[in-house]
Amino acid sequence: MRAIPYLIYLFCVAMWVVIWRDVTSIFGVTVNVPALFVLGVALYKEEMTTVWFGFLVGLVMGAAMPAKLGWLAISTAALALAGYHVKERINMDSMWAKVSMVAGGVLIHNIVILLVVQPAGFLTLLWSSALPGTVYTTLVGWLFLLVKEGVVTWKKIKAIF
Amino acid sequence: MTWISHLFNRYWRNVHFISIALLSLLLLVGGGNVRGVVSSVLVQVFYSPFHIIKSTAVDLSMVNGENQRLHLKLAEVTTELGRLEELRRENSRLRAVLGFEPPSGYSMLPARVISVSGDRVPIAAVINRGTEDSIVVDLPLINEQGLIGKVVSVGPHTATVQLLTDPTHRVAVRVAESREMGIVKFRLDGGLILDNFPIQGTLAEGDLILSSGLGGIYPPGLVVGTVARVERPEEEPFCKIQLTPAASFNSLEELFILRAVAP
Repeated sequence: MRAIPYLIYLFCVAMWVVIWRDVTSIFGVTVNVPALFVLGVALYKEEMTTVWFGFLVGLVMGAAMPAKLGWLAISTAALALAGYHVKERINMDSMWAKVSMVAGGVLIHNIVILLVVQPAGFLTLLWSSALPGTVYTTLVGWLFLLVKEGVVTWKKIKAIF
Repeated sequence: MTWISHLFNRYWRNVHFISIALLSLLLLVGGGNVRGVVSSVLVQVFYSPFHIIKSTAVDLSMVNGENQRLHLKLAEVTTELGRLEELRRENSRLRAVLGFEPPSGYSMLPARVISVSGDRVPIAAVINRGTEDSIVVDLPLINEQGLIGKVVSVGPHTATVQLLTDPTHRVAVRVAESREMGIVKFRLDGGLILDNFPIQGTLAEGDLILSSGLGGIYPPGLVVGTVARVERPEEEPFCKIQLTPAASFNSLEELFILRAVAP
């Protein structure tokens, strides 16, 4: 039963890859939802859960690219492990610390994905895709954290109106 | 067995890491078959449901777009069909008119009805000919069916026609067979009637009524209508005769103005 939420997360990643990635892209810049899921789990769950989840997210991400499957799995698992250890070693009480961790993690993951999937034209894609994608993903992650941490609630939104 | 369990518990973290590393290594160096199998399983389990949803949504969107496009096309084709049907009818009308000859000593000028006025029945029509076409008041108008009326006022490019169905309009007529005469007029409550026809006159249902030419406006021989019903009241000097107009006044379109040709 404990695995069910993670299974749902994996299906969410698949749904993003198949349906939402193109729909939510802005001028070709996309949200790195797999990295957000992995870092979200790293922030709130235990080490082994995080690493296995990262590994599986990498597999789901790379399902359509068999040649890159191993690289994506191990790099996403490494992101999960790094995220978990950053959380363990740095005080993550403030929202900005969490957002900074998400931004850093997403940037590294975007760069690794670029190196794995499209090494040719790396520098061009770094500026045109990886960096804007990091900003876009960080904004989405920040919104998620606002809701998760209770800073923004439905009650508060209703109170505004 | 206890020591194995103890060893596993002590190094469980490393076991996990080693497992992940080995699996990753397998995927990296395992060759195309291993990666292919793993990839196809993952695609089947995780991607297929969303592929189905996406393709269904795309299909629905395309069908919707196609449906809208076809609706638009249908409207265009229906409009075109209506226009062609109108042209077909006009063509058959004009074909009927083609062999139509004016009365002797007259020429025909074709005219098109611009508008028709009248409350319960049409009593006047405006045509697209006027003084610019040498049209003057009192010129008679006919169509291929029969007598229509006469011009009562003329503008530069249009003229107003008093139709046979105007209750104030009178036409001197005669019965085609017996040559007996009468006056045709229109009553809103009784339709087209033949008035002033003596009770002892020779007349039967179906007889053709033609203009007599005695009124000075209409040339003789124009078809006005046919006798629909004849009543001969004993106490009255005249018959009550109802006529069916030769022309259909509810569908006037192309008319002909009759102009006398100088001998």
